[in-house]
Amino acid sequence: MIIENILAINITIKYNNVKYTLYEKGGINVSTLEKDFTEQEELEKFVARIEAGDKIEADDWMPEEYRVALIKLISQHGISEIMGALPEKEWVPKAPSLRRKLGIMAKVQDEMGHGQLLLRVAEDLLKPYGKDRGDLMQDLFNGDLKFHNVFHMATNTWADAGMIGWLVDGAAIITQTNMLGASYGPYARALHRICAEEVFHAQHGEAIIMALAEGTEEQKQMIQESLNDWWEALLMFFGPASSTTTGTSKQDVTIKYKIRTSTNEELRQSFFSKYIPRILSLGLTIPDPTLHFDEEQQLWVYQQPDWNKFKQIIRNNGPRSQARLNLRRVSYETNAWVLDALSAAVN
Amino acid sequence: MEQKKTFYQEFEVFSKRTPSSPFQHQFSLLAPNAEMAMVMAQENFMRRDPVADIWVVNREHIRGLTKEEKVTLQRLDNKDYRTTKGYGYLKKKWRHYEQQMLDEKEILSWAGGNKND
Amino acid sequence: MTEQNLTITPELKDAVVNLLFQLADDDFFYSYRGSEWLGLAPHIEEDVASSSISQDSMGHAAMFYQLLEEIGIGNADALAHLRPANERRNSILVERPNGEGYYMEVPKYDWAYAVVRNYFYTAAKKIKIDSLKNSSYEPLAKVAIKVNMELYYHLLHWKTWFVQLLSSTGEAKQRMQAAIEQVMKDFADVFSFGTDGEKFIASGLIEKEDVLIQRWKQHLEPVFQSIGLTVPEIPVNGERNGRNFEHTEDLVSAIETLSEVYRIDTAATW
Repeated sequence: MIIENILAINITIKYNNVKYTLYEKGGINVSTLEKDFTEQEELEKFVARIEAGDKIEADDWMPEEYRVALIKLISQHGISEIMGALPEKEWVPKAPSLRRKLGIMAKVQDEMGHGQLLLRVAEDLLKPYGKDRGDLMQDLFNGDLKFHNVFHMATNTWADAGMIGWLVDGAAIITQTNMLGASYGPYARALHRICAEEVFHAQHGEAIIMALAEGTEEQKQMIQESLNDWWEALLMFFGPASSTTTGTSKQDVTIKYKIRTSTNEELRQSFFSKYIPRILSLGLTIPDPTLHFDEEQQLWVYQQPDWNKFKQIIRNNGPRSQARLNLRRVSYETNAWVLDALSAAVN
Repeated sequence: MEQKKTFYQEFEVFSKRTPSSPFQHQFSLLAPNAEMAMVMAQENFMRRDPVADIWVVNREHIRGLTKEEKVTLQRLDNKDYRTTKGYGYLKKKWRHYEQQMLDEKEILSWAGGNKND
Repeated sequence: MTEQNLTITPELKDAVVNLLFQLADDDFFYSYRGSEWLGLAPHIEEDVASSSISQDSMGHAAMFYQLLEEIGIGNADALAHLRPANERRNSILVERPNGEGYYMEVPKYDWAYAVVRNYFYTAAKKIKIDSLKNSSYEPLAKVAIKVNMELYYHLLHWKTWFVQLLSSTGEAKQRMQAAIEQVMKDFADVFSFGTDGEKFIASGLIEKEDVLIQRWKQHLEPVFQSIGLTVPEIPVNGERNGRNFEHTEDLVSAIETLSEVYRIDTAATW
């Protein structure tokens, strides 16, 4: 019998690898019957849970690799929503009708809301490391926390605002629905809320594009130019097919732990299948003359985007990377007095 | 000893859809105090839902279960003496007496009052 | 809605149209300035919550522009987007920028100013809306009842920020006091109805300016008392009276931005 801890009122004993907690008052009481599992045993149980399709919750045992992968994925996802609000909000004041102004305000609100849900999930995972939202913001500013490549691009016209709502959100719906069955419970629940709101986003984007597609020659030209400008960014949205393209890829870990089910390329193919017929139906031309569906391979064949641009973007050297980071940083610093003013003492 | 100060306290948000619904958990938000949390709650989590009432609770005030304590929730499945499953055999008996079984569905249907009362 | 026109004299119609433009333009620019804060609020949850207030307010503006459309003044979107600064009737308070810098570049917006402006404006709006619920112009009374419903949350939201910031650190109190001074400089025309205001009162559209001002003070009194302050005086004459089309360069550039896409083709459907 080894006495491990002596506290004022309880004693923990390890006997035959079983931990017993005894309470001094009222004599000895065996009050925990749970074995103290080894790290290896916990990992085996964990893997079995993942295989069985169980949900892992915030206070469950999880291997470090899983926690770290989730933190990276979810904090990036969350911060991308926050950063993604910035290109979209540019169009709120400029939206060309009362209804469109309202629609975009609501959409941007949802993006900030999605960021809030996801950051909360990430923050709870960060608790053991003693990090909080303020630390995540600092990680963003010093380049450690990346935001999605698509939000580093410039928006130049009203059609771009529509294109984001239609095809960028469309791409996001594909990646997000893919993770609705994620093994991590809090993330899956957040994604359910998010995907429900994405339906409105898709329709809002479609409404803008439809009005342009059915409008004047100038309006039709506006969407075609927008599609030309955004096509490469849309291809890159799903990330490289493999790590050989850019040197890194997170998809293996997230698939292994059943956080997502499909690979980057599978998701991109899914996007083509769902959206190319619609794009063409509106009379638009895809700015890739080589694009076609190969019946034999049952795959869309297309011209690869310039992945060097992608590498630049993930180093925060995209067209609007620094401007948007700066906007967020300045805003954060300018408002720091507010956080300071209302901070309260905690235990 | 200097206490740590933060703007970021966690609050759990609960709401009722209608005045007679039970409270249900929505999500958590960060706020510096309960007043602020309350002022954020509806627009953050229920802007497209009906809301009749809201509770915000600082996580510090929630007594949950530790991992070790969760084992105390386990029970044996040997208690059909207190469920309808344990009394299903009566259905056949009543049929013998040419009477209907007063099961859960039947009894709960009495809620609105009965014509023959 | 042409039935309405038959019972209105041209004079009454002018008064109604004038008042409606004041109400519509007020909320339109209030919402416009609110929406410039999107993504930039001090706290994410607050960003989400205050966005609803901007949306609600644009919704109110839309209702007022809709009433104008029903009277036959023009298309609501056109009225909102095309009228130049010298045809606008909003208070200059709502056209003032949120702080230094343009939202597309590196804005340094002032949260204290936002809180004070939003709270004082919303309190004024509440007083006006309460009076409008009894307006002699029935369509306006009906809209006022609807608008009122959403003001409860707007008031609670901004009052909470106002009281909490003014009860916190020395720095916050300083900033808030400075913001109060700045807001009050532009408050003279908030309750003004402009040169033809007499007609509003005579027709029973709304109550007298000084009656409304008194109620505004009474509304704010207990809140100020609770934090040991007194309600500031509204200056008698402001630099400009927005109700009489007197505006600033800020409004000119705001209109330029908000109508930029609309003006590409005012006949097109967007």
